[in-house]
Amino acid sequence: MKWGRTVALVMAVTLTAAACGDDGGGSSSSGSAPTGGSKENTGEVNLLSAAEPEEAAAYQKIFDDLINSQVDYNAAVESSADFEEQFQIRAEGGTLDLAAVPQPGAIAGLVDKGSLVSLEDLGFNIDDLNNLFGESFVALGEYKGAHYGVPTNINLKSMVWYPKAAFDAAGYKVPETWDDMLALSDQIVADGSTPWCVGFESGGATGWPATDWMEDIMLRTAGTDTYDKWVAHEIPFNDPAVVHAGEVFGDIMFHEGYVLGGADATPDIAFGDAPLPMFDTPPKCWLHRQASFINSFFPEGTEAGVDYDWFPLPPLDKDGTLFAGELTVVGTAGDRPEVVDFLNRFMGEEVQCAMGGVTASSRISPNVNVGPDCYVNTILADASVVLTEANKAGTGRFDASDLMPAEVGSGSFWTGMVEYMKGGPDNLESVLKTIEDSWPTS
Amino acid sequence: MSLAAPPAPPEVSEAPESPKRGRSRPKEQPIGVKKGGWFVRITVLVIVVIWLIPTIGVLVTSFRPENLVDTTGWWTAFGHPFRAGQWTLENYRTALDSGGFQNALLNSLAVTIPSTVMPITIAAFAAYAFSWMQFRGRYVLFVLIVGLLVVPLQTALIPILQLYTRGWVVGGVQIIPDLNLNGTFLGIWLAHTAFGLPLATYLLRNYIGSLPSSIVESARIDGADHFTIFWRLIVPLSVPALAAFAIFQFLWVWNDLLVAYVFLGGTQDTRVVTIALADLVGARGENWHLLTSAAFLTMLLPLAVFFSLQRYFVRGLTAGSVKG
Amino acid sequence: MATEVAERQRERPPEGRSLSPGARAALRVAAFAGGMLAIYVVGRLALDFLRDKDSNRILIVLVAIVVGVGGVFALFWAMDRVVNWLPESLREGVRPYVYVGPAVVLLSIFLIYPVFDTLLTSFKDKNGQSWVGLDNYRFVFSDPSMLRSIRNTAGWVIVVPAVAVSIGLLFAALVDRLHRGESLAKSLIFLPMAISFVGAAVTFRLIYSYRPEGFGSNIGLLNGIRSAFGQEPVPWLSEQPWNNLLLMVIMIWIQVGFAMVVLSAAIKSIPEEIIEAARIDGASEFQVFWRIVVPSIAPTIVVVSTYMVINSLKVFDIVFVMGNAEANKTEVIAERMIRWFFISNNDGRGAAIAVVLFIAVVPVLMWNVRQFREQEKIR
Repeated sequence: MKWGRTVALVMAVTLTAAACGDDGGGSSSSGSAPTGGSKENTGEVNLLSAAEPEEAAAYQKIFDDLINSQVDYNAAVESSADFEEQFQIRAEGGTLDLAAVPQPGAIAGLVDKGSLVSLEDLGFNIDDLNNLFGESFVALGEYKGAHYGVPTNINLKSMVWYPKAAFDAAGYKVPETWDDMLALSDQIVADGSTPWCVGFESGGATGWPATDWMEDIMLRTAGTDTYDKWVAHEIPFNDPAVVHAGEVFGDIMFHEGYVLGGADATPDIAFGDAPLPMFDTPPKCWLHRQASFINSFFPEGTEAGVDYDWFPLPPLDKDGTLFAGELTVVGTAGDRPEVVDFLNRFMGEEVQCAMGGVTASSRISPNVNVGPDCYVNTILADASVVLTEANKAGTGRFDASDLMPAEVGSGSFWTGMVEYMKGGPDNLESVLKTIEDSWPTS
Repeated sequence: MSLAAPPAPPEVSEAPESPKRGRSRPKEQPIGVKKGGWFVRITVLVIVVIWLIPTIGVLVTSFRPENLVDTTGWWTAFGHPFRAGQWTLENYRTALDSGGFQNALLNSLAVTIPSTVMPITIAAFAAYAFSWMQFRGRYVLFVLIVGLLVVPLQTALIPILQLYTRGWVVGGVQIIPDLNLNGTFLGIWLAHTAFGLPLATYLLRNYIGSLPSSIVESARIDGADHFTIFWRLIVPLSVPALAAFAIFQFLWVWNDLLVAYVFLGGTQDTRVVTIALADLVGARGENWHLLTSAAFLTMLLPLAVFFSLQRYFVRGLTAGSVKG
Repeated sequence: MATEVAERQRERPPEGRSLSPGARAALRVAAFAGGMLAIYVVGRLALDFLRDKDSNRILIVLVAIVVGVGGVFALFWAMDRVVNWLPESLREGVRPYVYVGPAVVLLSIFLIYPVFDTLLTSFKDKNGQSWVGLDNYRFVFSDPSMLRSIRNTAGWVIVVPAVAVSIGLLFAALVDRLHRGESLAKSLIFLPMAISFVGAAVTFRLIYSYRPEGFGSNIGLLNGIRSAFGQEPVPWLSEQPWNNLLLMVIMIWIQVGFAMVVLSAAIKSIPEEIIEAARIDGASEFQVFWRIVVPSIAPTIVVVSTYMVINSLKVFDIVFVMGNAEANKTEVIAERMIRWFFISNNDGRGAAIAVVLFIAVVPVLMWNVRQFREQEKIR
């Protein structure tokens, strides 16, 4: 085949030319001085987040306005419904830049596998971070002497929502103590309605809102010290203090006529649907205990402070403020100067304050320099004040189930709560024992 | 024998060059036209209706406004179909407006088409070898490949990602270099090709292996070599099976969410249609009006592909398994 | 036709008849080198183009088809040629391995290697780093939730293939008798396969949807029917043991289309004479079906059943998104694996559960080997 020879010659020439050409490479970064990162910049920074899609879209806009317009890399936020799975796959697979992790308990395992880069290695000064976010929050990302997460979000959990207009019209008063709250519930029952709307369904994560109830009650019955011991497993899960908290929980849930649909229906009601009967005319229920994000599930057109409002979950024997949030961690692929630069900006006041102004979002910034006037509605502004006060007073505590080992915090605790609701008050002890038995020994 | 027409002509209508494989009945003469009229028709109708109900529910819901979807069952829409405010295109508009949908569509095509044609080619060669060539380890290798059908692909994701980003190092020696395939189309094609190979080989081998041995043997006697037999004889004969598997693989890759998310990511420029729609729906379980319209949008193209090629599908996957 | 193929090959003149053996060899080497260079350069250019995320998508598709099909085909062609240069004695021994080679290589990297990786990890701790011997397996066979998942999976493996294949077979046989509408009927039954698993989950969550008193009227079909008869709505997805069966219904709904289409075409390939002869002998339709049709398509039934069994073994999405499987007692093996591996971050346990899955498929494989061998004997 004669053409073979000619082709061979042509190809040889082209090949040499191609081989001598430049290799594909990344762009180098310029701009404000990043302090760390050992790999080459690629021009793209990716943040994996568990936010809802509308929130993520809003954040992308903020990044575009405040960050991308000023630097030569492109920061993009990705939202994923299967966040835990994607996070782990990417972290272990080595393709993760940044992730905003709502469960600090997951950090330890990944550090052991070598999938995360410590803040110290990236050049962050921990003292500076402590000043910005408070030492207890930063310490949540600490493992084996190094820190791995920057606090970038916080949300308040100890909130009770109510349909303000109807509530006031019916002459009810916002309770200041737990007993007042129970008395209010009795009054609502006497008036022929049902006080509480509760829903725990959430697909594969069904049961998580119930853990929030338990944690809030633990803070108010056993106090912050016992709470800390509970989280650290210095007391067993079926310790009398926990049993007592469970009983207080059951006093509301199993009380005749207190919960719309009954306690055993709660694991089948989607958590996002649960508050909706409050907005019927007349309201079918009047009280809904849930974190600060829930108002994005309220019907369109309802106004904060007018149609609905909230009061802090009242204290019982003790008091405490439950909150949750996110720590932003850096994966091995993110060990680059541009990622460090992004993180600096992301946690800084400018971006955090802008994020508070997003209507689709109900996030509050843990950055102490971000004031209440950054928030788009009074609900968030008031909540942020509550959080700052609590953290200053030392009574704020992070969501326990997000701190416990995943087998418990994202597993047996959820399941146990569902079984408690379905099985009734008598099986509280056995439920707690099962959870205790599931705690990993290592 | 009361069949009206004479015995069926020996030709099979759709593949012009296919040899006689026994006599296939042409469509005009089903088995036993004597019995079964009403009973058959009614049973078929019942089964079809039952099967369609879930889909109809989704379709109807996708055209209803949100407030109606949340408060009434979809079947109530049939009670008063012409009342104002019953139907809306808003859900579809929201889905399509979600930004970058067109781009997602192109991305999906860019992922799906190569991921369909590549495994077919590789599997066809392998299937031919398993069917018509003698070599040691034939059974073992084939059974191994079929056995791989059971491997949950989630177990493969992390090792493959690590391979893509770090390469393979054994004892300090870089055996497979760091190709940095993460986030690239090539990376996802290779993954989908590999994941689709077990089924492709299984089905194609079944088909190719049951072509009449007389054909292959007479070609060999006449001096044709394996490559020629494969390319000029087997492949034309296998078009039905190849097309059939193509549809199946197309559907699977098009509807895939996990592999695309892991290997391509969910950012605006590389995400595929399934991710774009999952993003629309989010973690909330009960936005039924959006969920249903999103589900239907993802269905449209694969349905179109199926309807247009379904005659191949029907004939293809099968004829291999029967003794002609 | 086969004869023509062979003749066409013989007609091609042998290469380089007018050159000396030395020149011929040199030409061959140059052609080979040229071919390899061509492939390399084109491949590199294509690869770089394909790796660039910003390239025009349509162009990418076209390049991909060319590279994917053309490249792959060229690879096989080239390898086949190379085999031809081997000494006669080795040629036909090596060729089969060349044909299955690319498949085996790809599978080794993408599936077999992860299998071994998983196997090793199953003996390690939760971080996949230190050895713990059989601890994970001890867990798999003693944890109540795991045992339940094994029982449930056994249920899936028995019920889903049996029902899906039966309905598929029945439908295929019936629809074959229709004068008109056969294509449409088959397409409508196949429709669920075009819906992704996510789509199917959405569909059936709507059907099984439950709202207790006070949360509005029920918008789910099942509870709608119950309300119409004046009965209380039921939370189907958490109601045992119905919830397991209802989840299986979803899978059956999807898979019957596949079974039906495959079996239908198999039925169509049965030679007419056999059926006619049986009828002439006075067999009833029922007997024709059981004594003639079913045995004739037995190999197809094997293939379809195998695929269904393996799919049922692997089922995960359906169970995972429909609620807390452990609280609802609907766990299955693959769902447990994902939960332990990704949610609880316990690599060792997740891997051990995956290995259980691998072992469970062995009986199916052995059955297939037997069928494989028998088919070849007949051929």
